[in-house]
Amino acid sequence: MNVIAEGFNSFETNKKPIGTIKYLPDPKSVIALIQSGKLKEHIVLAQGGTTTFLAPALSMGCSGVITLSGAPESHLGILSREFQIPCVMTTYLKDNDSRYVTGGDNKAHFDLLIKALDGKRVQLSCEGGELGQVVLVD
Amino acid sequence: MDYQKRYQPGDDGLRFQDLLYVGNFKGMPPVPDGILGDRMMKERAKSNVLQKVSKEDVLRDQFTIPELNDLNNYLAWNIWDVLVMRATEGVSGMIPRQEYEILAFMHEFYRWPEILRMTTDEVGAQGVMDIGASARTEIGTKINCVHDWCIGAVGYGMGRCGLLALEVIQPNDYIEESNEILKFMQRVLWGKRQDGWILNSQDAYRCQIHEKSIIDRLTSQLDRMEADSEDHDMVIRFNAAAELLSFLDHYDCRLGLGDTGPYPLPNGNILIIRDLFTNEEAFEWSDVCDHENVPHCYTVVLEIDPRHMKLDEIRVNDISTTFTRPKNYIPSIQAAAVFVREKWDTPMSEVYKVPVKDLAKRLEGIQQATFKLYSKLARQSRRTLITNGQYVYYIDMILPHLRKAGTYDKACQDYNFWEIDQRVSNYYYDITKRGFAQSTVPQKIFSGEGYLPFDEKADRRRSKYFWG
Repeated sequence: MNVIAEGFNSFETNKKPIGTIKYLPDPKSVIALIQSGKLKEHIVLAQGGTTTFLAPALSMGCSGVITLSGAPESHLGILSREFQIPCVMTTYLKDNDSRYVTGGDNKAHFDLLIKALDGKRVQLSCEGGELGQVVLVD
Repeated sequence: MDYQKRYQPGDDGLRFQDLLYVGNFKGMPPVPDGILGDRMMKERAKSNVLQKVSKEDVLRDQFTIPELNDLNNYLAWNIWDVLVMRATEGVSGMIPRQEYEILAFMHEFYRWPEILRMTTDEVGAQGVMDIGASARTEIGTKINCVHDWCIGAVGYGMGRCGLLALEVIQPNDYIEESNEILKFMQRVLWGKRQDGWILNSQDAYRCQIHEKSIIDRLTSQLDRMEADSEDHDMVIRFNAAAELLSFLDHYDCRLGLGDTGPYPLPNGNILIIRDLFTNEEAFEWSDVCDHENVPHCYTVVLEIDPRHMKLDEIRVNDISTTFTRPKNYIPSIQAAAVFVREKWDTPMSEVYKVPVKDLAKRLEGIQQATFKLYSKLARQSRRTLITNGQYVYYIDMILPHLRKAGTYDKACQDYNFWEIDQRVSNYYYDITKRGFAQSTVPQKIFSGEGYLPFDEKADRRRSKYFWG
C-alpha cells in the first residue's frame, strides 16, 4: 500500500473511495465540476476546512474529500461525517516535512501539496480513529 | 455503558484533542478540554458564579467584579474548548469568515448592551428568564445553546477581546455594558436549563432541556430503520443536505443548527433532537429558499444505540453541535423522524411530521436551494460577503430573544439595529492590516491571552455609553 499523504480523519468508515484528485481553487471550478457530470469520478481537494466552498459538491454526492487545513471539528469535518463522505483534513505528504501552521503563511506548503496531489489517482483509507490516509492507486 | 461513566462524580472524561489551555492562568498547570477542564476551571474560580446558582442569584441586577472575572475566564476556556480545532480550518475560498466575524464581534459589544437593556426593561428580568424557558416546550426555535451562548461568549467575550486587541478600549472600560450582556445571557440560559447550571460544559456536555411531554410527542412518531436500509439512507442524506443548507443560509456559521440531548430512552438508546434552520426570513438572500418552498426549520430526531457504536463519550457542546467517541454515530441510528416548523412563530400545535416516503421531494428542494444560494454567493463581492456575514452574527445571535420578547421591531426602529456603527464601519479598513483578522485576533481568542480581567478594584459603574 503506497500511502502518499495523511491527515486528520474526519470520522471512522469502511468506505474506501477511489478517484482522481481534482484541486478546486475557486467557486467557479466547483460549479464547473458539478456541471461536467464527472463529480463522482473525483476525490476533491480544497484548501480550507469550511463548508460553504464545497457545498454543491457535498450536496450532489462527491465520493471523497481532501483538505489542506481544518479538523473534524471544522464545519466541513462535521458535514463530511453527516454525509458519510470520507474526508482527510490538514493533509501532509509522507515524504516531506512541510506542515500546515495555524495562522501562518502556508502558501508554499499549499503549493507543494497541490502540485504533488492534483491529478493523482488515489484511494482514501479512513478506518482509523485519528488518521486518514491517501493511497496511490496504480 | 462506558459513556455513562462520564456522568459519575470525579470522572475526567476523554480528551478530544492534544492541545492545552493557559489563558489568564500563567504559571499554573495548563487546562485540558472536556470534563476535566471544566472541573479545573470551576476550582480556580474566586466566586460561586460557576457553581449551580439560584433563581435569586440570577435575578440580581449585576455581577460583582470577581463574578465577572470568573465568567470571563470560564467563557475564554469554553470558547477554546469548542473552537480551537476549528481554528485550523483556514480561509473559506468563498466567504471571508474571519473578517466578518471580527467585525461582528466588535459591533455586538458596542451595540447590544442598550438593545438588551431595552429588552430587559420591556419584559423584566423574569421575562428574560421566561424567554429561555420557552425553549423547553418548543422545537425549531433559535432560542438554543448556540444563540444563548453567543450572547456572552461572542458579544461580550470575543467582542471585548477584539476591541482590546485593536487597542481601542482598555480592560476597565465598558464594565456596566459587560454586565448587561452577561446578565442577559445568564438569565436566558438559566431559564432554559432550570437546573442551576448555565452551560452544557458545566454538566458533562448534556443539554437535556426539553420537557417530557415534548420528548414523548416526538418519540411516539419515530420510524424504526435498519442501518443500510433505504429509509436509513434517505434520512441520513436528508439530514446532511438540510444541515448543509443551514450552514450556507447562515454564511458558513453554526447559527443554523441546534442539537439538544442526549436524552436517555427507556430502551437504553439515546435521543438527539436537531433543529436545522434552512430558511431565515430575516436574510434577503433566503429568497432562494422561499422559491423552493423550504421551511424555516426541519427538526431531525435521531435515536442512537450507544451499545452498537460502543459509545465512550458524547458531547452536545455549547455551540449546539454533537461530537462522539467513536466519531461516527450515523450507522448506529436505529430510528428517526423529520418534523417541520414552517415559520419561526408557527405554533407548536401546527408542527408536523414529514413521512420518510416524502423526504425525497423535500431533499430535491433543499438541493436546488443550496445550488441557487451558492451561485448567488459566488457572484457577490468581497465587501458584500463581509457585510452580510457580519449581519448574520450581529443580528441573528439575539434575533430569537428579541422576537420572543416582542422588542425586535423596536430595536429596528428606535435603536437602528440594522445600521452599522460608524466605529465598526471604520474598523473594516483596519482588520486586514498586519494580519489582524487572520492571525492576531484568532491568536488572542484561541490562546485565551486576549480576555484580560477587570481590575479587582474597578468600579462596576464604569461605562462609556450615553444610556438614553
